[in-house]
Amino acid sequence: MSNELTSPSGGTMPLQVVGKRLARVDAGERVTGRAIYPADLVRPGMAVGAIKRSTIAHGRIVRIDTAKARSMKGVLSVVTAADFPEVKPGTMYPFGETGADAWISAVTVMARDKVLWRGQPVAAVAAVDDYIAAQALAAIAVEYEERPALISIEAAMASDADLIVPDAKPKGFDADNPAPRNASGRTVIVRGDVAAALAGAAAVGEVAVTVDTAHQGYLEPHACVAESDGQGNLTIWVSTQGIFQAELQTAALLGLPQSKIKVVPLEVGGAFGGKITVHVEPVAARLAQLTGRPIKIVTSREEVLAGGSGPAAAARIRIKVAADGQGKLTAIDGRYVLDSGGLPGTPTTLMMQASAAPYQCPNLHLEGIDIVTNKPRTEAYRGPGGIQAAFAMEQAIDELALKLDLDPLELRRRNSARTGSTMPIGTPFPSIPFPDVIERMASHDSWRQPIGSGALPRGRGVALGYWRGTSMTSAAHVMMSGDGRPMVTMGAVDITGTRTAMAQVAAEEFGIEIGDVLVQMGDSKAAGYSDASAGSRVGRTMAAAVSEACRDALGQLRRRAAEKLQCRTEDLSYERGVFRRDQAGSINLEDLMRSTIGEGAVIGRGVSTKLPLGVEIGGHICDVEVDPDTGQVTILRYTAFQDVGRALNPPAVEGQIQGSVSQGAGWALTEAFDYAADGRLRNASLLDYRMPTALDLPKIDVVLLETPVPGVPYGVRGVAEMPIVPVAAAIASAVRRAVGVRMTAMPMTPERVLQAIKKARR
Amino acid sequence: MKSIVQAEINGEPREALVDTRDTLLVMLRDRLGLTGTKEGCGNGNCGTCTALVDGDPVCSCLMLAAEADGSRITTIEGVASGNELHPVQAALVTHGGTQCGYCTPGIVLSAVALLKRNPKPSEHEIRHAIAGNLCRCTGYDKIVTAIAAVAADTSGGVR
Repeated sequence: MSNELTSPSGGTMPLQVVGKRLARVDAGERVTGRAIYPADLVRPGMAVGAIKRSTIAHGRIVRIDTAKARSMKGVLSVVTAADFPEVKPGTMYPFGETGADAWISAVTVMARDKVLWRGQPVAAVAAVDDYIAAQALAAIAVEYEERPALISIEAAMASDADLIVPDAKPKGFDADNPAPRNASGRTVIVRGDVAAALAGAAAVGEVAVTVDTAHQGYLEPHACVAESDGQGNLTIWVSTQGIFQAELQTAALLGLPQSKIKVVPLEVGGAFGGKITVHVEPVAARLAQLTGRPIKIVTSREEVLAGGSGPAAAARIRIKVAADGQGKLTAIDGRYVLDSGGLPGTPTTLMMQASAAPYQCPNLHLEGIDIVTNKPRTEAYRGPGGIQAAFAMEQAIDELALKLDLDPLELRRRNSARTGSTMPIGTPFPSIPFPDVIERMASHDSWRQPIGSGALPRGRGVALGYWRGTSMTSAAHVMMSGDGRPMVTMGAVDITGTRTAMAQVAAEEFGIEIGDVLVQMGDSKAAGYSDASAGSRVGRTMAAAVSEACRDALGQLRRRAAEKLQCRTEDLSYERGVFRRDQAGSINLEDLMRSTIGEGAVIGRGVSTKLPLGVEIGGHICDVEVDPDTGQVTILRYTAFQDVGRALNPPAVEGQIQGSVSQGAGWALTEAFDYAADGRLRNASLLDYRMPTALDLPKIDVVLLETPVPGVPYGVRGVAEMPIVPVAAAIASAVRRAVGVRMTAMPMTPERVLQAIKKARR
Repeated sequence: MKSIVQAEINGEPREALVDTRDTLLVMLRDRLGLTGTKEGCGNGNCGTCTALVDGDPVCSCLMLAAEADGSRITTIEGVASGNELHPVQAALVTHGGTQCGYCTPGIVLSAVALLKRNPKPSEHEIRHAIAGNLCRCTGYDKIVTAIAAVAADTSGGVR
């Protein structure tokens, strides 16, 4: 593709820094251990906080006796929900397109009257050290009136089941479609006549799948340090995806004005959606207020896995896909039931879009409901719902290809969405070059080369992926240093290399070296409001904000340069850090700032809102080997194709894709929460919750396509969510083609694969 | 109960007053301020807290501080020579082998220990050596590439 940038004046110029393979600007501090995460922070006089968690999955809190804990030497404070203002359902705070309910955060942070899952916080202590804090937690006595734990979707939907969250009003149901017990929401997308299309189809591919709960698996447990100045102001150092979301939630949960809280972002040791809702910040902040001491809370791995931070929703999905004799899709009929865990609100629309959006199809009937159960409340996980949806949909497409005796990639080629075709929600697609992606896949070695043979049966699977992503709002400002170097401050947290990418953008805009640009994450009192780093949005929207801020600063600098060179601003040209007035003179940024700093600061401002979507699309090809005697699935080769619009920094983009595939392969093959009937998580450790190691994965090949999105600086698309979406489906279809069994349960553990093989042989 | 642990840490003689319940990880982080060593799980499953004890990689969360008395310990803070990165560190930077960075100190130490005992490892040997270090961001590809590049580099060699 052309390596040029459309300039503000409409001309083009070659890109100098954007798109280059550059090391992360903050890599050095990461490889030396100097990067500071909140668990590393020490403040003068600091004490520790720790959280007492429910030992039952469902019931009423009758009494919490904290007297013994309070009397212990070294215990500074004990809090329960009674020490926080009550937050009612529907207490909305700004977040993205719809806002979010602070009541959800409040119940997640501290149970009030009722316990909804085992591991939900019920009290917290502040103490002088971790050992005393642990003893104090043990000394808190909680009396419960226990109710039956409703662990499965079926148990929660039973007509005589307790209502787990009586306050929640089910949404989207009506007289014809009454809400099942403990359902919290229903979404339907209908187009055309699915029943008639199914009846008249030449072939139908159908699968019904179950997907178990899995966890984001970030290696850094939730942690923060909170400090009160005794005058009503709080500072919170935290690992979060959004400093303003942390600020807004903490303010709502403590009943404080937002402006009294400063959230300082430290390094984030992985998040993947699990660090948007606050988990420890309001507790540490309340303890800091009460004790007058800085309070650090660091959660344990068991708390992370079992306590209600994360996980991602389990699902039951049934999909039928119909086609005519020419292999053109005529109907998609999908039903999605999500297990939300202990609180309502897991969106089913994203799943429905993720499954149906890759295809043009005249008749759709997609219906999703989410059910509340007595398990930890689920949170976003990288393309929330996408991998579950594709596990069903892309296998149904694979079944259809088998029925039609068509090459599975050819079936997708005939039906894929394309720019201008109709989205599931009825509007035309913006730039969505699926045909190019499929063409690249079809011509690639990973598809054309024979899979080869070995001692064990092998199969090749393919799946497409789609993720809508979001834009929301991002802000940045650029201050000119007295030596003429731009200093960029972002309001969004860097979780995926944003500082590096934005240094590239600023260097490009100024026409200078990346080493002459400083990019930092601002705290919530020093940076402009930005939404959380989520939804594949920060690279695009922050690039727009930084680009705008740089151009604003350059405009101000141009006026100063014109004064210095005694000409009109339009008589000046600017290139590579130098303003020129034809032959009559020039001044570089350093001389300009040194000589004019006394005239006041130069601050450029950039805000991005409602940027066009950077829809993410791609496809994966996977070769597996299956041991029919053990059920073990081994990935032999994996190739991920993705149109990224433009890769701001190709190694960073490849790394995001490889990491996504790795997470997807983990959920596909080994990762699942194992709940006992009483709601206890039986595998709350990283030994038993089995994430992929370096030995479990092959090299993951990445093929990037770059079709710029119109109206977005540099044409950037979202990157990091889509590549988890097709993984489980590609692996499952490879298993199908290796050993002839259709895997309907995820993860596809050896036990399940073996059972499926044995069942097929009977 | 408290005791004093004496050890050579990153080439320097150090003393720490530790609680008998302290792990080596707690001693390094909380008693000596060497916070480059991270805790990911606290029970030896993730490798994030890897340090070298007498040259061998160990999960510092599984060793009591008191057991470290008299030992020679290398943490991530002791891998570079001043501002000069160790080749493993430099390669991780160059090849994009660090993302969130939380697992990175443990990966560096596992790789340093590997290359010390086996300067020319195969890809499988590299993957085996870091199989005890979970990474959730990278899919391991660029980490393996970085370590392989160090092994293939004949110019400087590995310390």
